[in-house]
Amino acid sequence: MNEQMQTFPVIEVVEHNPTLKTFYFKVKTPVQPGQFVLMWIPGLDEKPFSISHQIKGRLEITIKAVGPFTQKAMELQPGDKVGLRGPFGRGFSLHENALIVGAGCGVAPVRYLHEMAKRQGVNTTLVLGARNGTEVMFRDQYVKEGANIITDDGSLGQKGLVPDLVRKMLATGKYSTICASGPEVVLVALQNIAKEHNLPVQLSFERYMKCAIGICGQCCLDGSGIRVCIEGPVLTHEELDQVTDIGLPHRDATGQRAEKSGVCQQP
Amino acid sequence: MPHLKVQMAGISLDSPLVLASGVLGVTASSMRRVVDHGAGAVTTKSCSIDPRKGHPGPCIVPYEHGMLNAVGLSNPGVDAVVREIATYREECQAPIFASVFAGSVEEFGEVTRRIAAGTPDLIEVNVSCPNVQSEFGAPFGASFEDTAAITRIVKENAGNIPVAIKLTVHCPSIGRMAKVCEDNGADAITAINTIGPGMLIDVGVMRPILSNKMGGVSGSGIFPVALKAVWEIHRNCTLPIIATGGVSNGDEAAQMILAGAHTVAIGSAVYNRGIEVFQRVNEELLDILELHEMQNLEDLRGGAHE
Repeated sequence: MNEQMQTFPVIEVVEHNPTLKTFYFKVKTPVQPGQFVLMWIPGLDEKPFSISHQIKGRLEITIKAVGPFTQKAMELQPGDKVGLRGPFGRGFSLHENALIVGAGCGVAPVRYLHEMAKRQGVNTTLVLGARNGTEVMFRDQYVKEGANIITDDGSLGQKGLVPDLVRKMLATGKYSTICASGPEVVLVALQNIAKEHNLPVQLSFERYMKCAIGICGQCCLDGSGIRVCIEGPVLTHEELDQVTDIGLPHRDATGQRAEKSGVCQQP
Repeated sequence: MPHLKVQMAGISLDSPLVLASGVLGVTASSMRRVVDHGAGAVTTKSCSIDPRKGHPGPCIVPYEHGMLNAVGLSNPGVDAVVREIATYREECQAPIFASVFAGSVEEFGEVTRRIAAGTPDLIEVNVSCPNVQSEFGAPFGASFEDTAAITRIVKENAGNIPVAIKLTVHCPSIGRMAKVCEDNGADAITAINTIGPGMLIDVGVMRPILSNKMGGVSGSGIFPVALKAVWEIHRNCTLPIIATGGVSNGDEAAQMILAGAHTVAIGSAVYNRGIEVFQRVNEELLDILELHEMQNLEDLRGGAHE
């Protein structure tokens, strides 16, 4: 896999629920947690997805059906070929005592970071949030591992919102940094909580993307002009300080700012 | 000490390097960041009267000698670009060029009238994008009559803002086409646009890779074609030239200037050398001036014709 187009067969599909599936590919090119690939479904479109794990040349992409592209992706079967390009962007860097937070669709990239931490013997703590228990990605594994799970309706783990749980956990003073991915409203809340505790952050952002190679300018953040596809998608508090459109509705395919934010920006 | 300052169509630039249209030109902050990295001016992504979403992906794919694109002229519409130019002015002093395109001669007049309200330093008229043929027919830039008519209507609507016509090599003679633009009132020529269109097929799924199947070819592979076009334009008209097409280093920028260019636009090279490409090419150009004991780029300009 590289930045030029290559197609790969799906080697395995795991269904978590009818709208949440994980697809496996044989890809030796190393991808870092937080980096992303472009997936091309021939005849349809090409969209960015973060990697939810990679080990021994087995690349894992977890997709939730939220739009036309991801709904079509649910039909992919072993043997079907899709294009994969990448990896693109800068991912997370691993720190001892990091609090790793994944909310909603954002669980995919932090799952990989957490798995890597376990493998390398780096001590980290995982927080997972979702609207309800059935939407928690890799639920069985994380319940078994005793991850900190919080759901809006309390159907799994604690009842409440991710930022509230994170605030409580930070009060213990045990954590060195927050690494998070999820809806932008959650990221903004975590950024503010981290500021209160004077903690560095690594937050993974999404913007409408076309090229992923730093050319088209579609994913640039206002203020700094940072390209989410090159300097991001994982940004630190220093990088975020100069950005002026965090938390605002995103620009769409035309480059115009949309009128309201989507909860999950996945295509 | 040699310097890189240039004057073109009444515009002063600290560097001859211009951000080419279609690259990093969607937002004010993105363009300001390119200026921070050494560009003398920036060009907005080409806009039309109404917003356009463009083509689905893949719409930009690199290959061994450059890249292929069929973005499909996505843009937020001319009025949104006017607002983006205003934001850019608050953040940045360097000149900003506004690229426009349209589907008819009359619409070229209208989009120019509306972009002129944003008072860009120059209006670049894209008569040559190869990516929308099915919708708009062959590029206007292939026809002397169409290009003449567009040049006239754009000049009527641009007020006192200088106008550059962006030409394609896919015409009977780019030298004569430039002369037609000059005779009809243009203030500058931008050359060239992407060439082709071209195509790449994925052998794994046996389908064209671009969703639009074909797309304009840019990058290093087209540099000699662009250079020869600039050479011909310089021999056929007296207008200043914004040379663009595959330039990625100081040597190639110097070649464009030796062929007759006033300024040199860089686009695809941002992929290969990063956003820092502008600063690096500036340094490489200064090295070339120093090596030849020249003081400024005027000493170099058109030098290969003598």
